[in-house]
Amino acid sequence: MHEMSDEELLAGVMAGDQMAFATLVTRYHAPLLGYLYRLVGGDRTLAEDLMQETLLRVLRQSRCSGEFRFKPWLYTIATNLARDHFKSAGVRRRERSDEAAEDTLRRVADSTSGPEASALAAEQGSEVRAALTQLGEEYRVVVVLRFYQGFTLQEIAQTLQIPLGTVKSRLSVGLRRLRDVLAPIREGVE
Amino acid sequence: MLREQGVAPEESAGLLPALLRLDEWSAPRPSLMDTQQLLAQLAHALPSRSPVRQAIRERQQRPIGSIIGLLDITRTQVSLFGLSFWLVSALITFVGAVAVLSAAGPTSDAQQIAAQEIVLRASGPLLACLGTVIAFRGTGAHVLECELVCLPTPLQLALARLVIVLGYDITLGLALCLALVAGGAGDVLMLMLSWFMPLLLVVGLALLLSLRLSIQTAASVAYGSWLAILALGAIANLQNLRALSLLALTSPSETLLGSLGVALLAAVLLRLRANLPHLLPTA
Repeated sequence: MHEMSDEELLAGVMAGDQMAFATLVTRYHAPLLGYLYRLVGGDRTLAEDLMQETLLRVLRQSRCSGEFRFKPWLYTIATNLARDHFKSAGVRRRERSDEAAEDTLRRVADSTSGPEASALAAEQGSEVRAALTQLGEEYRVVVVLRFYQGFTLQEIAQTLQIPLGTVKSRLSVGLRRLRDVLAPIREGVE
Repeated sequence: MLREQGVAPEESAGLLPALLRLDEWSAPRPSLMDTQQLLAQLAHALPSRSPVRQAIRERQQRPIGSIIGLLDITRTQVSLFGLSFWLVSALITFVGAVAVLSAAGPTSDAQQIAAQEIVLRASGPLLACLGTVIAFRGTGAHVLECELVCLPTPLQLALARLVIVLGYDITLGLALCLALVAGGAGDVLMLMLSWFMPLLLVVGLALLLSLRLSIQTAASVAYGSWLAILALGAIANLQNLRALSLLALTSPSETLLGSLGVALLAAVLLRLRANLPHLLPTA
């Protein structure tokens, strides 16, 4: 059976088709939640709120012109909402988050190969989360889109509305910073 | 992946361990119940089922021939016209017919026909004015159809709505024609020209002005201008004013006005294509 494209489903949603809406939401619930979850540093409740707001924006601002692509547009809305949230949350929250990230990194780096290290290693990706949180927002977004969401470079450029060269340079800087942050931790754990 | 983004092979080896570690941080996967809950929370924002939007979507999925397609769009556009539009238009025609028939006597002299013509010349464009305002009221407000910018372009939608407005007016005109024949009015063809040609002119003028003004203002200006011409023509006839004699309408001049109306309509439809970017949403 022919699987409807995102754009076809969106046209259905705009015509009030509930089935098309359910299909579209089911298709994007997990990936978009995952994206927002990683973007906001692992806060599931906040990610779910942003997810809901993103889909509300989709319903309010929907479009379907010839060249329109749903996926980049959806992620543009989600990214902008996350950015707005960071701005409105203010400096205090960011500082708190940075402190928490640094604390995690410090604890991991200082630990030896004893039971404490095993417990920390078992903690779900806390090192990676801390490392990603430490990245600047512009680098975190491209890294998450590329390596968690599987976006092509072109799709990232389209989503963030930046040139392809900027995508490449941000990815390059982001990965180097990740390597620098994660390498000492790895050495500390091992 | 790394090569694609321009990372040198020797650097890739250094980046790879960090890259592989990204998988250590997994994101939560929403359950089916989570998705259903999300759908329930969003249900209130889902657009209501609209026959126009539904038809646009169906047409998008199953393109059909241009004439049939236009008629199909026309059929769906009918829902934009409320019952009041059909009733008021019919009422105006009915009042016009009664006025014309009451002016008709057993013998039809030139004076009687002139009186009948004035009634028809005033009532026909009023229908055009009403139909234009109703059909094109959303053009300046980025209506959904324009936002969608799907296969029916604003040009096709404008054509479809003109088909409705003019089609209904022609139908009313035929009914009026029958009423005039049954009522014993003389020279029915001339009377019909007096009704339909100004109607075409006012529709064309109103739509042309609507490219710069709101549709309500454009329709009012077009109809107001026509009434002014009509009044001046009547004064010129009554007082035998030479200076204003050019404004006295004759059948050939009315046909000319109708042709001018058609030309204005064609210009508007062509202009719509050029104005397309302004009709699109800016968000």
